[in-house]
Amino acid sequence: MFRLHTSQAGILRLYQPFLWLYPAEFRDEYGRELCLSFVDRWREERSITGLLLVWLQAILGIFYQAPREHYHMIIHDIRYALRILRKDLSVTAAAILILALGIGSTTLVFSLANGLLLRPLPYPQPERIIAVTESSPKDPNETTQISFPNYFDIRARTRLLDDIGVYASAQWPIRGEGTAERVSGASVSDGVFRVLGLDPLLGRTISREDDVPNGPKVVVISEELWQRRYGRDPRILGRSIQIDDARSTIIGVMPAGFHFPDRADFWLPLQMDPTKAARTDYFLHAIARLKPGVSIQQATGELESILEQIHRENPGVNNNWQAHAIPIRDFVAGSYRKAVITLLVAVALLLLIACANVCNLLLIKASARVREIAVRTALGATRRRLLRQLITESLLLGLAGGALGVVLAYAGIPALLSLIPVNLPLWMNFSPDSRVLGFGVAVSLLTTLGFGIIPAFGSFHADLTDSLKEGGRGGNSGARSKFMRHGLVIGEVALSVILLAGAGLMIRSFLALRMQDLGFHPENVLSTSLDWPESRYHDGPPARALLARLTQEVSSLPGVISTSFSSGIPLNDGWGRIFSIENHPVDLKDMTFINHIVVTPNYFHTLAIPLLQGRDFTESDFDTPQIVIVSQAFAKKNWPNESPLGKRLRFGPPKNNEPWHTVVGVVADSKHGAYKGEDRPSVYLPYSSDITPNVLLIRTSGDALQLHQALRSRIVAIDSDIVVSRVLSLEQIIARVSWQDRFLTVLFSAFAALALLLAAVGLYATISYTVSLSTHEIGIRMALGASVSRVRAMILREGMTLALAGLCIGIVVAFALARLLKTQLYQISPNDPATYIAVPIVLILVAGLAAFLPTRHATRVDPVVALRHE
Amino acid sequence: MRPFLLSRDTFHILVALADRDRHGYSIMQEVTERTAGEIRLSPSTLYSAIKRLLEQGLIEELEERPDPEHDDERRRYYRLTKTGRRAATEEARHLEKLLSDARASGLVRKRA
Repeated sequence: MFRLHTSQAGILRLYQPFLWLYPAEFRDEYGRELCLSFVDRWREERSITGLLLVWLQAILGIFYQAPREHYHMIIHDIRYALRILRKDLSVTAAAILILALGIGSTTLVFSLANGLLLRPLPYPQPERIIAVTESSPKDPNETTQISFPNYFDIRARTRLLDDIGVYASAQWPIRGEGTAERVSGASVSDGVFRVLGLDPLLGRTISREDDVPNGPKVVVISEELWQRRYGRDPRILGRSIQIDDARSTIIGVMPAGFHFPDRADFWLPLQMDPTKAARTDYFLHAIARLKPGVSIQQATGELESILEQIHRENPGVNNNWQAHAIPIRDFVAGSYRKAVITLLVAVALLLLIACANVCNLLLIKASARVREIAVRTALGATRRRLLRQLITESLLLGLAGGALGVVLAYAGIPALLSLIPVNLPLWMNFSPDSRVLGFGVAVSLLTTLGFGIIPAFGSFHADLTDSLKEGGRGGNSGARSKFMRHGLVIGEVALSVILLAGAGLMIRSFLALRMQDLGFHPENVLSTSLDWPESRYHDGPPARALLARLTQEVSSLPGVISTSFSSGIPLNDGWGRIFSIENHPVDLKDMTFINHIVVTPNYFHTLAIPLLQGRDFTESDFDTPQIVIVSQAFAKKNWPNESPLGKRLRFGPPKNNEPWHTVVGVVADSKHGAYKGEDRPSVYLPYSSDITPNVLLIRTSGDALQLHQALRSRIVAIDSDIVVSRVLSLEQIIARVSWQDRFLTVLFSAFAALALLLAAVGLYATISYTVSLSTHEIGIRMALGASVSRVRAMILREGMTLALAGLCIGIVVAFALARLLKTQLYQISPNDPATYIAVPIVLILVAGLAAFLPTRHATRVDPVVALRHE
Repeated sequence: MRPFLLSRDTFHILVALADRDRHGYSIMQEVTERTAGEIRLSPSTLYSAIKRLLEQGLIEELEERPDPEHDDERRRYYRLTKTGRRAATEEARHLEKLLSDARASGLVRKRA
């Protein structure tokens, strides 16, 4: 350093740190000069004001100039990078496309995760809202609704909950003004609106005075219903609306977008009598708002102790069930979490492959650029400067790929939603928001680090003098670069094998699900829900006459083979009830559930469920309904070594003393309540004055859906107040109940296919590059008489060695990871042999092709040309 | 017409280098003197401008030491290139033209 007076050295120590604001290159170049000039100016001044001015001017100057220097440098880097990227357009385009696919897929899946798991629910302080559930000690993970008396006691005793509300959702027909339609609604206790914390747009919500047995007939409607049926009539409050059979007065309109639960458009007061409801009837959903600062654990603790008190005070109904507090988000979206996380992992693997692929491309390109870098280094470019340049190039690629990827993701969302055949709850909003965009940008930057760093640093390891000496070939076939490139290809292949194995398992599982024996034939069966005005057709002879009329009319439609009514849509609506067998007393705690299905005669014929023993229902059973037909599994379990015919069972808790039902027949097992997984055994009851089933099932000789219009007009002709809804073929219903599996399988397969393609491209690029480097060697070999097939085999061997190494690693890792998919798989073991046989075959075929293509190019080499290549 | 668009500071730096090669601080001093203290370049402004002028090839850094009388061995010296001189001359002519236009229109009074 130069010599200075002590005071000057001091002032310089104050000045120098500011120079760090400059880019390093500028500081290195002019830092010393800046200091010298500053000290000279300082020395010149005598007055305190002058000195202060010098100081001020110097510092302000730095604050003004340093950012400009950064800006100039960045612009310079970007210009240079663009020039370089333009020079090799095919590599640049390939890299951007690969990155766009990786980043786009990742962002797409993230927008799913965002809509389901991250986006706050549309209520104030949603983190304080919980769901309250109960579960049997036998199956603590299977949480269910709660019973009304338990809700009533929890509400009275809680200290940690601000409020609690219960609701039961259903679809009701709305008649009267306008066309009759079936609309989602809910019966709610007064607490529901307070728990959710949203004020009505007009009027008021349901109060405690409304929610009493035989209370006023009032209803709160959604903004959308107000719009749809009433054209936003400003005098809507006080008007009445006919829901099902009863007229209710509209007391409030909720703001737009409010549809709790799911898609509800109106809310009626629950008006239940706690003294008449059973403690073991778990049919109400409960939500509560925690007091500020109360944790989920504290709330669960309190709920458990309240339930214990209830059990102590009511020993007759003690079934040891437990209460839980679950964050509302987990309650409404918990079932999707595993699937979403599985997809995120899959797409992360795809992104890694994309990174490895681009990294590989850049490494190959870097090998070709070693000379350029050596020359620039020789001309005095610092390492830092070159690194910055290379990172700028990667960053440009990353951002271009990211921008295209985010566009792809945005465009892909509608395609993704088209894979979902059901109406999702309206709070599930997958439209891209700032979080998705931020994620896209973050992933692009992270990706840039992922693929850009290795080639950037790798460039400096090349020996400078060597690369300059290598002359015209301008390439570095150095061991380090080759090692890295091969490592990347092996990694890509391994990752794609993992995804392939995952997709294989998913496909196998989905096929197993769709090809399972349902116990009935869903082909050519149409199902529809009918809602008739109960005042006109109340249970008993009037409803019976209506069903007879409907059956007669529908049966006369062309192509109809058989019709019947059921209390639920197969695979969609399950009504679980507990039961006990005569002479086999069982504790309430140990009672299990069955599917309780009320049907008209011909049900088994319509669905093609074989009758195994006894008889089918007949019309005359209407008057003597204390009989049942049971499924084979039910019969075997309860009367293992004797005929079930003539045996008796009854429903509900023993203390209810419901009537006994005699078994008159046994039918083959069929799925009714659950499409996926274990279904409960079924018990069928004949329709009677107690219950009129309202789901019409029609078996036709051809495409069942073609019946739709004729069916609707025939029914409306009978009574235009009958609401015909959910007209679906059983195959459509199967598609709806299995959409999650299909969705997961389709996406997983798409990612795996993409992964395989990228790995193949990576392999192809690497082998092609090796071939281009070995042109000379190939030429010599061919000049010395090596046959074309021998040269091809040599190249193919290199490619297949990489592919096989990747395959081995991938299979081992896939085998270990597959266990994580276990809960998503249906009847397929994570070690499914077929998958682990198919995956290597597919991979070897694709890798073989990718490695073979470059060999064709190599063997077309003319030895003379190849030798001249030197 | 005008090959270079020179900023005020840049023009002053070129003018300062017109009569002889100078180091940075000498340029700062010369500009201050020439403008009677009206313009005082800060070191940061000066060296950002120098960097730009070097890149544009308007000035060059000397490799050999200049006239020993003015030599300061610690410093870097800068010289106007041919292009730089031409740019500065063009700029000066342009300013002169502007001034004579202003005088002809009576905006500025002619010097006595």
